[in-house]
Amino acid sequence: MTPAEFLGDHTFRMVLLGTMAIGVVSGALGSFAYLRKQSLISDVISHAALPGALIAFLVAAALGWDGRSMPVLIIGAVVVGTLAALFANGTTRVSKIRIDTAMAVSLSVFFGLGMLLMRVIANGSFPGKGGIQDYLFGNASVMTVADLVTSISVGGIALAVMLVMWKEFTLRTLDPDHASVLGFGARTIDAVMFATIVVAVVIGVKAVGLVLMVAFVVTPPAAARQWTRTLPGMVALSGAIGGVGSGVGAYVSIALGNIPTGPVIVLTLFAILVISLVASPRRSLVTSALARRRARAAVTRELAMEEGSR
Amino acid sequence: MTAPPPPGSTAPLACATHQLSVAYRETPVLRAVDLRVPAGVVMGVVGPNGAGKSTLIKAMLGLVPPLTGRTEFFGGPLSRARQRVGYMPQSASVDWDFPTTVLDVVTMGTYGSLGWLKRPGKAQRDAAVDALRTTGMADLAHRQIGELSGGQRQRVFLARTLVQAPDLYFMDEPFQGVDAKSQRAIVTVLHALRAQGTTVVMVHHDLATVTDYCDHVTLLNQCIVASGPTVEVFTKENIRTTYDVTTGDDTFLDLIA
Repeated sequence: MTPAEFLGDHTFRMVLLGTMAIGVVSGALGSFAYLRKQSLISDVISHAALPGALIAFLVAAALGWDGRSMPVLIIGAVVVGTLAALFANGTTRVSKIRIDTAMAVSLSVFFGLGMLLMRVIANGSFPGKGGIQDYLFGNASVMTVADLVTSISVGGIALAVMLVMWKEFTLRTLDPDHASVLGFGARTIDAVMFATIVVAVVIGVKAVGLVLMVAFVVTPPAAARQWTRTLPGMVALSGAIGGVGSGVGAYVSIALGNIPTGPVIVLTLFAILVISLVASPRRSLVTSALARRRARAAVTRELAMEEGSR
Repeated sequence: MTAPPPPGSTAPLACATHQLSVAYRETPVLRAVDLRVPAGVVMGVVGPNGAGKSTLIKAMLGLVPPLTGRTEFFGGPLSRARQRVGYMPQSASVDWDFPTTVLDVVTMGTYGSLGWLKRPGKAQRDAAVDALRTTGMADLAHRQIGELSGGQRQRVFLARTLVQAPDLYFMDEPFQGVDAKSQRAIVTVLHALRAQGTTVVMVHHDLATVTDYCDHVTLLNQCIVASGPTVEVFTKENIRTTYDVTTGDDTFLDLIA
């Protein structure tokens, strides 16, 4: 398939633009989760997005609205996803349970609730319940123009909030205590920061699915960190990697025929990460091994010369 | 806050705690601490491991919730004196593999005066460069923070506190893991602050240098054993009580004398 044919097709265009938008937003905002050593919070959020989206579906169905529309999904998923993120962090704060355990507990509890609700909806007679299963593994080909517009505007708001609060986000991420002493309330910054990360995760649930969404938030920052020395550089590159990786993955999945888009994007992002780990100038596994070998040779040579001159 | 107060007078207080108690779970760490720091002194806080030295500073600054009691800064709550209070935490408290430069970290010291959402500009960066010069770190302004030695990290944190230009400094073991060169740089700043009449509260580990660095000293072991001018309270008897040293163990005390 030529790129012209590809872009000429409405569905393909939706898939490409939709996944790229998701990639840019989650890549950029994922940087803060990465630097706070809470990469997995995105997995908690995406799993908690399931009960959120389904509760919103039930409420919308009761009111006679379209339960699977993107705004309904996003509102429900953002509310419950934020609750799950705050629950994990709150558990660590008030108890001796560590954050990894707290995140695992939060993830499984909310996901369990989601699976229950899914069964309730499957057994009931709700209009438009078909396609609810797609929230698990995603289905990029059902993206509509309205979905795309919603994803881009909601994701754009999250990015704008990040830019406006840049100073506060940076301060809190590097040194939480210093931020508090300077008078920037930890709770306020955390609430806003997690809300933006939640948005970055939930806009991908419909197209990518909650299971794989974590890769969109985790992989680009990890790759971008290898190449960059400043936070603005890292966030920008991470967003770019997310966008380009998603675009390439979407194109490959469609060009190769009937292959699901989400998994191909995840593999593409992983390939970018591997390249970054191997080839980045300062933090590369290969160049540091080479540098070490050069240093050893130099020292050995010097020692031999000192030996000879004695 | 210009001249050091004469001993025994009711000098204005830079900060004071009233019946401050802290516990982690049920284990008490501090018991009813009444600390009074006169304006214009360098106050060393010394005591054995687990005495609650760092906790005292953190509780005063609201980073650890107190069980009982309160802290006043310049006669009011912290919320009314934030600009005048600077905090230099232990350098181990942050992840140094953060993608940022020395200059950016030091500029963060100005964020309190900027307030919410306003961005740092040239004035803030110039102030940061000045602070780096004061701590002898100007050459490393554009260095990645991950590439610094232990002593350089402490000097970055010191510069970040200096740039805020507070009237009252809290320093948590500024000499921790510091080589001779960095130690000298930090001492120079400390003496300059003292000469300006700025108040410093400093957790300090090295008993041998207490008399050199501190006008006042607080001996702490969960509660205050003694607090006041160094010449008066930094006695063998008080140190013995604080560190729970038996009378025979004078090699330990000779270190100080």
